[in-house]
Amino acid sequence: MELRPFPHIMEIGTIKNSAIHLDGFPCASTGGFRIFYVQEGKFEWTIDHQTFILYPGDAALILPRREFGNKNKVLEIGSFSWIHIEIRINRNKELSIGSWSSLSPGDHCEVCKILQMDHLPVLQKFPESGAILKGIQTELFNKEIGYRTRINHLLDELLIQSSRKIARMSNSGRDFPITFMDLERQLRANLAHQWTVEEMAALAGLRTTLFNEKVKSYSGFSPLSYLINIRISEAIKLLKRPDISLTDIALETGFYSSQHFSTTFRKLTGYTPSQFRKNHLRIK
Amino acid sequence: MECIITIELGTNAIRVYAFDLNGITIGSLKGYCPTFHSEPDHSEQDPDQIFITMLYVLKNLLNDVLHPKKYKVLCICFSSSMHSILPVDKTGSPMGNAITWADNRANKEAAQLKNSALGKKIYNSTGTPLHPMSPLAKIAWIKNNEMAKFKQVSKFLSLKSYILQQLTGEYMTDYSIASATGLLNIHKIKWDPDSMRFAGIKPSMLPDLVPVFTRAGKLNKAYQTSLGLSADTKILVGSSDGCMATLGDGVSGEGVANITVEDSGAIRVMGDKVLQDEKQRFFNYLLTENRYVSGGPTNNGGIIFEWFTRQFGDFKNPFDIEQNMLELIAQASKIPAGSGGLLFLPYLLGERAPIWNANARGVFFGLNITHEKAHFVRAAIEGILYEIYSIGKTLQEHRNFKSLSINGSFGTLPIFSQMIADIFNKPVRLRQNYHSVSYGSYLLAATEMGIYKSLEEAAKSVKLTELITPNKKNHKPYIKHYEIFERLSTKLSSEFADIVALQHP
Repeated sequence: MELRPFPHIMEIGTIKNSAIHLDGFPCASTGGFRIFYVQEGKFEWTIDHQTFILYPGDAALILPRREFGNKNKVLEIGSFSWIHIEIRINRNKELSIGSWSSLSPGDHCEVCKILQMDHLPVLQKFPESGAILKGIQTELFNKEIGYRTRINHLLDELLIQSSRKIARMSNSGRDFPITFMDLERQLRANLAHQWTVEEMAALAGLRTTLFNEKVKSYSGFSPLSYLINIRISEAIKLLKRPDISLTDIALETGFYSSQHFSTTFRKLTGYTPSQFRKNHLRIK
Repeated sequence: MECIITIELGTNAIRVYAFDLNGITIGSLKGYCPTFHSEPDHSEQDPDQIFITMLYVLKNLLNDVLHPKKYKVLCICFSSSMHSILPVDKTGSPMGNAITWADNRANKEAAQLKNSALGKKIYNSTGTPLHPMSPLAKIAWIKNNEMAKFKQVSKFLSLKSYILQQLTGEYMTDYSIASATGLLNIHKIKWDPDSMRFAGIKPSMLPDLVPVFTRAGKLNKAYQTSLGLSADTKILVGSSDGCMATLGDGVSGEGVANITVEDSGAIRVMGDKVLQDEKQRFFNYLLTENRYVSGGPTNNGGIIFEWFTRQFGDFKNPFDIEQNMLELIAQASKIPAGSGGLLFLPYLLGERAPIWNANARGVFFGLNITHEKAHFVRAAIEGILYEIYSIGKTLQEHRNFKSLSINGSFGTLPIFSQMIADIFNKPVRLRQNYHSVSYGSYLLAATEMGIYKSLEEAAKSVKLTELITPNKKNHKPYIKHYEIFERLSTKLSSEFADIVALQHP
């Protein structure tokens, strides 16, 4: 198939395999992002050194540079489709989708964050991904008017659907305290990031309105106020160490500037950060 | 118009209430603070996050409710959960997170004391059960496991002492919180030399010991400005959540016992004498000189019913735990008392009073082919309350009580309070939409301000509006089932130990 207009699609295909091939499917890692969707049969695949069994309707998501294949190199009987997209990992170890994508900057950030989240690489019962792969192949084959745009849209659709599926998988819908705890952990792990409510809701696997409502009733705060809480609590700890500059503290705890840090800090505590630091050092 | 603010530093939430001088609630807000479990038996909270959350909630209540209505805040009275410990260095900076009551890392230190003559002596002087919850055991753990850190510690604070110090600069702890540390001789009201030696610390490493009515110094200028409070706002050190829940329910003397069923649970009595229990099953906390709150705590309160609901609720809407609990309760109420002979031991979190067995585990017992899901639901609730009853029953070996008062978000659910009345066969009083800990703190502040002559008088003013009388018909089947429950909970102790060994290989 003609892939020249799509340099970011490294490979796309479907295999119908009617006999076992020894050495047909060894473990290997590549630079891009791969999705495998099982249509028929039962496949035992190893992803990043963990072994999974996939049934029809299941999809495997393989991040760049993760090993994937059959532990015994065997290609089992059945059929599956796959796509291999070029998605880079930038210097901050974040995924970065190429300029072909029409995801908005906010959506791009959320989707990448979720794809990189610590989740199982197998998405069970995910026929949406199979349908999209089929759609891309049909477009490539027919080359009707607008097919270049359509294919890139379908790729975006695939990434969006995958991240939604992961977000839904990450909670059971039963234990909000645990979901909230996980969210808190992720916020703290990346406090310098300018979190939006939409991103936080996506991590919790909830629609934004429901997320707002649940966080408010559980914590007493809106999600952004809760986040400011964490930012200031961390800033207080850093202010007690004389070796970090106020600007570094501001950026490390997620304020846009030392001015923004100072105003927010003062509104809550009555002290400017430098007064707070001076006071604390005096106690010595 | 004048008002009193109470601040409860609880395990899950900071609750700020404002009362007018007659004790009518003007407004309230809460803010959540997480508990971190870096290891399975660790439970920690971030002291600075608690401080900031407290400020944030207080500020919101002031700005949204009190300042617009031109209330003058006369007094802010604190209460907090017990048994927390926070080491700080010589600059007063926390050396890591605070260790909360639920932390079990000091299991070995507590066990070592419990089986010794020294332990018996310490329990008799301090009134705190020898358990990993107690700061005594936790400090000993830090000494035994983190010597380098231990050497740098300037003071061991409670979370409340830290918050007060941030606000006013004073290091103080009140009698109630101090009497829950295992470090205080509750008869002499002095730090106990045996405990000091075991923990490896000196009294100078603890905050100043003061009565609950003490003013904790003046609010720092910056907070006066940011909160819009005047310099003469009284900051009262206040007491503990357990003592305040008891006072807030109007219990001040003999004849009444107080039951709390929140996530965990407790049953308490108040009196002028310590309960000296040979088996060391009860706590004795000091409210004021010669006034003790005694009783026993259970780990397995409402949190167990919440767990049950999460597993067996339908969850048509994500995270709608309240609705699912109500649906399960509706199913349970159709089943007769005794759940058709199905018993539940609720020890999913191990147990404190009265069996004090960290290895205890949950059990459904007596299942037959006719039992349905609704039987399980009812048995789960009955099991949680049999456990409260088992503490109450042992408590009655020391103290008589004719009636009960109940509080807590689970305790005040109709099915829970009626069952408690029926199992104990005693009348129960309670009040819906009433927060006993906060009201207790209001009473404490109001007494300090002279609105009441004494805490007894303050307690008498409490009106628990709802009276539930026991249903005699249910009492008998409950007691027959309870007897088997009681036997099982001790009989299974070696099997509990064996299964725990499999759960933690």
